[in-house]
Parts: sequence; C-alpha cells; structure tokens
Amino acid sequence: MIELKGIYKWVNTGNHRTFLLKDVDLSVKEGEFISIMGPSGSGKSTLLNVIGMLDAFDEGEYNFLHESVHKLKEKQRSSLYKQYIGFVFQAYHLIDELTVYENIETPLIYQNIKTSERKAMVADILDRFQIVGKKDLFPTQLSGGQQQLVGIARALIANPKLLLADEPTGNLNSKQGEEIMRLFKQLNDEGMTIIQVTHSEKNASYGSHIINLLDGMIQDN
Amino acid sequence: MFKNYFKTAWRNLWKNKMYSGINIFGLAVGLSACLLIGIYIIHELSYDKFNKNAARVVRVTMEYEMAGTVNKIATTGTKVGPQFKRTFPSIEEYVRTFIIHNVIKQGDKVFDEPRILYADEAFFKIFSFHFIEGNPATALDARNKMVITRSMAKKYFGDEDALGKTLTTAGKDFTVSAVCEDVPKNSQIKFDFVTQFLNLGNGVNEETWWTANWITYLLLHDDKNISQLQQQVNDYMKSTPVRKEAGVEGNNYLSYHLEPLTRVHLYSSLPGFEPNGNIKNIYIFSLIALLILIIACANYTNLATAQSSGRTAEIGMRKVMGSSRKQVFFQFISESLVITLFAGTLSIILSIILLPYFNKIAGTQFSALVFGQPLLITTLIIFSLLISFFAGFYPALILSGTKAISVLKKGFAFTGGKNVLRKSLIVAQFSISAILIIFTIIILQQMNFMKTKDLGYNKDHIVVLPIGGKMLNNFQNLKDAFTQVPGVEAVTASYETPEYVQWGDAITVRDEKGKHDISLHAMPVDLDFVKTMQMKLIAGRDFQKSDFGMMDTSNNYQNYRQPYLINETLAKKIGWTPEQAIGQTIEKAATGPVVGVVKDFNFSSLHDPIGPLLIFLNRDFSRDFMLRINGSDVQPTLNRLEMVWKQRVTDRPFNYHFLDDAYNKLYQAEQRSSALFSVAAVIAIILACLGLFGLAAFTTVQRTKEIGIRKVLGAGAGSITFLVSKNFLQLVVLAMIISVPVAWLISSKWLQDFAYRINISWWVFLAAGVAAILIAFLTVSFHSIRAAIANPVKSLRTE
Repeated sequence: MIELKGIYKWVNTGNHRTFLLKDVDLSVKEGEFISIMGPSGSGKSTLLNVIGMLDAFDEGEYNFLHESVHKLKEKQRSSLYKQYIGFVFQAYHLIDELTVYENIETPLIYQNIKTSERKAMVADILDRFQIVGKKDLFPTQLSGGQQQLVGIARALIANPKLLLADEPTGNLNSKQGEEIMRLFKQLNDEGMTIIQVTHSEKNASYGSHIINLLDGMIQDN
Repeated sequence: MFKNYFKTAWRNLWKNKMYSGINIFGLAVGLSACLLIGIYIIHELSYDKFNKNAARVVRVTMEYEMAGTVNKIATTGTKVGPQFKRTFPSIEEYVRTFIIHNVIKQGDKVFDEPRILYADEAFFKIFSFHFIEGNPATALDARNKMVITRSMAKKYFGDEDALGKTLTTAGKDFTVSAVCEDVPKNSQIKFDFVTQFLNLGNGVNEETWWTANWITYLLLHDDKNISQLQQQVNDYMKSTPVRKEAGVEGNNYLSYHLEPLTRVHLYSSLPGFEPNGNIKNIYIFSLIALLILIIACANYTNLATAQSSGRTAEIGMRKVMGSSRKQVFFQFISESLVITLFAGTLSIILSIILLPYFNKIAGTQFSALVFGQPLLITTLIIFSLLISFFAGFYPALILSGTKAISVLKKGFAFTGGKNVLRKSLIVAQFSISAILIIFTIIILQQMNFMKTKDLGYNKDHIVVLPIGGKMLNNFQNLKDAFTQVPGVEAVTASYETPEYVQWGDAITVRDEKGKHDISLHAMPVDLDFVKTMQMKLIAGRDFQKSDFGMMDTSNNYQNYRQPYLINETLAKKIGWTPEQAIGQTIEKAATGPVVGVVKDFNFSSLHDPIGPLLIFLNRDFSRDFMLRINGSDVQPTLNRLEMVWKQRVTDRPFNYHFLDDAYNKLYQAEQRSSALFSVAAVIAIILACLGLFGLAAFTTVQRTKEIGIRKVLGAGAGSITFLVSKNFLQLVVLAMIISVPVAWLISSKWLQDFAYRINISWWVFLAAGVAAILIAFLTVSFHSIRAAIANPVKSLRTE
C-alpha cells in the first residue's frame, strides 16, 4: 500500500542543513497497524505528515496505492489524501463552532454527498461509537476522551483506507487513552490500515509493528 | 452547502460579539450615510422628470450685452413666447410664467399666499400636473378661471366642493375651474394657485423683447429639434430687422438659450422660481458617502484579517477534511455577507431614526416612506453585496490560502507579517478623517467670519415689513405711525433690502477718455436710510425732506432733478475723491446732484467684492419698510407694531422678518455644507477609532505572552502602554502628515469663492492633528493599559 524509498527532508538554517528525515525506507501493507516511536524531535510527526501528504519531502520516492506521489502535483496529491486517508490529532482539532453531528458531517459536505445520504452515514457512525446522545453538543461541552472519539468518527466517516493518528492519546488520561487504543485495535481487526505516532510503549504494543526513529533515521530493530 | 456556510458564519459572529458588533455598527453607519445621501441624490436627479413631455420642454434664458457688461438672466420679455411660436414651426406651444406673493380672500377668510402662478393657457398642456377635478384642457381658457391645489381647496373651502366657487385677489374675482394635486417637491415650478398670464395687468398685454420679468417655456414637437431650434434662434436674433426692433446697436447683442427642462435644476447657473440645485453638490455628497463607506469597509477588512490568526487551525482542519480552497473562500465571503445583511437592515432603521436630522441639515422634507422606493431598496441590496464582496475578498483570499499543514503548527499568524494592507487602510482612514476635520473647521471659521463681519451697516434689530396693495398711497401716514411706536428708533423704506441688491443699472460719465457708461447696482430708498441702517457717511449728508423739492414732476418732468448718494467705490471709479463728489452731477435718465458719499458696505453676497452703487431718493419704488427697533424690547415692540398695523392696514396680514435672518439665508448653501461636513467628520473619526479599538484589542491579546515576559523581566506599566500604542500612533501621525497638504489645497480652493475670507492659520492643522492623535491614543490605551497592569503569571500560563 505504501512504499517509501530514500526519503529525505531537510531545512536550511544559514549555511547549515538540518535533516528532519534521512534516507527513510518504509513499506506498509494493507491491514497493518504500525506505531512510530522515538524521542522528541526525532521526526515522528514529520514522517506521519509526509505519509499523509500534508507535508512535502525533498528527495526520494513515495508510492501510495500504485500512485507515484513524488510525481504528483499539489492538487492531485490533496485529492488523493482526501479520498483515502483519515487524520486524528493529539489536540483533536474539532471545529468549536460546529456541533458533534456537524463536525462529523463536514467531510461529507466537502465531498458533495447528498443530504439524505449524509444523514444516514453520520447516524450510522454515531450509533457505532455510541455518541448519539451527544450529537447536538459543542466540542467544549465534551471531555477530552469524548472529543477524541468524535475526532476519530470524523476521520472515519468518509471510509478511508488509511488512518493516521498523531499521538491520539497524548492529551488524555490513561483510562480514556486505553479506550481509544482498544477502538483502534478493533478497527484494525476489521481491516483498517493504521499508522500512529506515540510515546508510550504500552500504546505501541497494540500495533502489529513498531518503527523506531532517531534523528530522522529509522533504527534497525 | 450554503446552509452550512451561513450556519458557521452565524456562530462565528455570535462567538466574537465585540468584533461583530464593531463591524455591523460601522457598516450600518456607513450604509445609513449612503442611504440618506442616496435619497437626496435620487430626489435631485428626479427633478421635473415627472412631466410626460419633459424631454420636449425647454426653458428660454436671455443673454445680452449693454454698456460693455454681459448679463445672463433666466427671465425674458413677453414677446419671446408668442413670436418664437409664430416664427419656428418646430415649436408646439409656449407658456410665460410669473409667481406673485399676494393676499387671497374668500368670504371673510384672508390669507397671504406666496405662490400664485400666472401662466399662459398652454401651461397644463406643457406640464403634467395631476387633476382631481376639472379638465386640464379648458382649465385656463378664460381670464377669470383659476386652478387651485388640493391643500388650497381644503384651506379655503374645507370639505365643500371648490369647483365653481369664487376667490378674490388683486381686486379681481376668480372662479375655481379645477383642482389639482399638490405640486410635487421635485418640480421647479411650485404653485398653489394658477390663473391666466394676461391677468398680470396692462404691462403684459403688449409684446416686448425687454422688461424681462417672465420665465418662458417652450414645448417642441420633437426633442431631437432642440439644437436645430437653438441655431435658428441664434440666426433670427442676429438678423437686422429683429435687432432694430429690439433696439440693439453696435457691439451690443441680445440672444436666447434653450435649456432642456430636466437640466435646469442641476446644470443651469440661472435660478428660476427657486434656487437651483447643483450637480457639484451631488458629486460632493456622493464622495462623502463613499469615503464614509470606505472607512467602514476598511474596519471590516482589518478586523477580519486580524481575527484570522485565531482561525488558521480551523481552516487547516477543514482542508485536512477535504475542503477545497474555493469552498473555504466562499465560507468567508458568506460571513461577510451575513455581516453586511445585518448592517443593511440596521442601516434602514438608523436612517429612519436619523431622517429628521438629515432633513434639517440638507433642507429637505423627506418622509420615511421614501425608504420604500424599489430603486433605493435594490440599490441598497446591490451595495451590500458589493461591500460584502470587496470587504470580504481580501481576508477570504488570504485565509483560504492557509495550508492544511498549518493545523499542526502553532504560532502561525498572518498578522505577524508586515501587514502593509492593514497599515495602509488605517492611514487612509485617518487621513480621510483628518481632511474632513480640517476642512470642517475652516468652513465653520468662514461661516463665523461672515456672520460677524462688519458689513458697513448694522443688520441687527431691523424689522422688515413688506409693502403691498394700497399701502404706498398711505406711505407718510404709515411711516409716521410706525415712528411713534415706542421701541422704534428709526424708519425707512426701500425697493430691496440692503443685504442683497440686484437692481442693475448704468450711468454715463465724461472724462478725458470721452463719454462712456459705468454699469452699477442701484437702490431707490426713502429718507432716513443711512440713519436707520447706521451706515457711515464719509462726505456730504443723508437725504433730507427738502430734497423732494428738487424732484419736480410738473411740466412733464421738465425741471426734475434726482438727488443721489454714491458709495466710495463708485466715487473712485468715476475718479472723484469723496469731498470732490459732493455737488457733482450724475448723468442718467434722471439727472441730479450727489449729496453724499457713503462708506462702502456689502450689498451683495460676500462671494463678490463690493461694486459701485448708486442710491437714489424715491419712495414710490418702496417694497419694504425697515424699522430699527430697540434690541432690549423686541417682542413688546413687535406686539405694538402689530396693533398699529391692524388699525391701519386692514387688507393685509401682519407679516415681518428680521434683516439678519434674510442675511443669514444668503449663506444657506454654505450653512448646509458646513453642517454636512461636521457630521461627516464626526462619523469618520468615530468609525476610524472604532476600527482602531478593535485592532488594538487583537494585538494586545496576541502579544499577551510577550507582554507577560517583558513584565517578568521588569518592564513598567508606562513602557508597556507605550509599546502597544506606539505602532498605531505612528500610523496616525503618518496620516496627519498626508492629510495636511490635501486639506490645505481643498480649503484654499473653497475659500477662493469668497471675496471676503479668512486666512488659513497653521494652528488649525496643528489642533486637528493633535486632536486626532489624542483620540487615537485614548482609543488604543484602553487596551494597552489593561494589558500593562495585568498579572504576568496569568498571561504566561495560557501557553
């Protein structure tokens, strides 16, 4: 599904070049659940963003579902991730002005899906995540765990093939975190490909595969 | 999709109440200014267009040269109408018109009526006034017929049918032949009564090119013929027989201009029955409305871009969720649309509340019903859409360009950049405000200068009583009676009151250059004129009773000698010193000696320098008594005068006005501009400060952390206040520097129209600048001081 070959990403400060990613090779098959680990500043989030096509890289090849991402233009790249990738963030990034229902509905609106269909899809996922009773609340009225649940529901609403999660439990207490991880495990069991960035060994253990990153380089296990 | 846009927009507005409030209020004030000025402009542009034949009607104005002076007047002789119709086949009808102020009687009801129109039979064929009763075609076909308006029918006959009833004026009985609707406010001819032109008396029966007192309108068969007819008229008036008949010799000429009816009000320099509007004012008014709107829009743009820093995460997230740039763009345009729609609605309410004040300033009489005009509503909607697009365009464009990745990066702020646009907008706002403020101060100074200027006579406490009917026959008795009223200090009479003398005339002088004419203004007056007006004589004396002895009318005026007073300027123009002038002879139709020279006084508008003036003794021309009364006893004196009047003048009501009021009326146009500019300047500075207030709030929030750190490092409240205010004040100071030369240029251009004017003093600019900077500082310091005294621990904890 994902093939990264010799990916480099750097920033220039003065006449000094700092590498964020250095010669990264990675392949992910459909149905895998991968955890990226490493200390602060090791390039975990950068790698996730490159995979999610939110961020560009400077050198290397990236093939996603047989598309050569490094050859695509900005616009084609964004239509690719819109179609296949769902994102979950540490800070949830729900839109404060929208209710739970509306937050989940928004990606469907951007995909020009009809109202009746949207209703059905949102009702479905609310039901599945057992948050029907919260659908008219605004994000600020929810606990952190509930907000992240909504964030995940929103990421899944458009049926992506890949779920990218950047420290999804970073802002949660351990009990809430555990629930989220259990949900991820369940999603993975149902066939969803997941890549998460995490600090916690325990969370990483839910995955099928761990990648250790240090100074932008993958460490051999 | 759109439902979603508006829902988000609404919730965002609600969340940021202060900024939404500033935006909506600011735009509403800007739109109200546009609305009110808009109804005024629509009204002015609609002048006379209600006439079905408007395109085919022209007003004839007269231009002639005599004694080296070119005169242009809106009135013509009696001959123009009928002679042109006989000569030029393209003319269908003509009408000569004149409006008289007279008393109208019906039974025991007597009213002073200022708008009695005398017009030829074709009047109602040429102009379209709506008839309620009677037939427009026959309404004026006999000498004794009179058409009255609906309000007059109500005033004189109450609920009874007015048709066929009798009204009396100028000693004649008239039968009401028709009742028409009240004349619309946008008609250049406004009347309450209409009767035949020929009823004006013997003077108008004879057709003559001269004695030009009447306004003539022509109805053409086709509006395409106007320029062709103008050419024909020019040729005709140049032909020898016509010149001979009109008595035009040598280099002198007499010609006529055809002004399309719909252009008279805004484009003609010659006022007709009422003062004209001016297309220049339309432009100035539009410009002011536009400037205020720009200031309001700039507030919106500035606040929207400032707010954007808090919304990059939202936009980034929307993009991650699959939104395209276009979709984000329209989301922000929708927000701006919601704001303008609120502002538009609020502006209608505001305008209705402000309408009475606007009427007062602009001298109009609009009712709230004008806001129902479809044209106005459509314009408002189009304007709102345009504003929401233009004010929202830039923020929407910038915000929609936010990259999806920015959701992951903290501290991205598009406020952090150079903000050239925002800074330019602030500078523009304050420049406009400062220009308006400076210009307003200069107008007000000039107004005050004109009000208090020494005119060369004392205009205060002069009561003017119009003379009419049989009063002239009883002149001396009336004058004696007024003189004896306690509180009256002196009494005189004249043809025109001295604040605005229009009588044009000429005298002949002989000097080394030979015989030539001097054109001048002239005014016939009664005895005691100089004394009553408190003018100064610099040589000779005022008229005295014995002067009447010179005016010997026996033997067909064989020995008639006319005594004269002249003003300094005339003496100088002839080449006499004041002392030399006494006893010299003035050569005119009525020749006579100069008995005195008066110190120059302003007998015309202060726009013009004082010209030569000839004052001659002749009470038979008198149209007004002028009474100087004791200033400490005004009302009781007026009451006593009214009693005397009622005893002696039984056929006319007691009407009076004060000379200084008439003087002030001369400058009504300037008074209105000054009021308009004052209001505009105040609105501009309030809106500009409102925007500054909002922006300062934002910057302070944004710099909370910086301020916290600085305080921890030991910065005092004063230095923090200065830190926050500094950036804004720099911009305001820059605006002042830009506005000074512009304001100076505009003001001196405006002052150029006055022969008597103030000097522009530097302190006006300094005062306006200091005031603007101070106001801006106070606005900003509300936030900066609050930030400066806040607890730094709190602000640092927000991270």
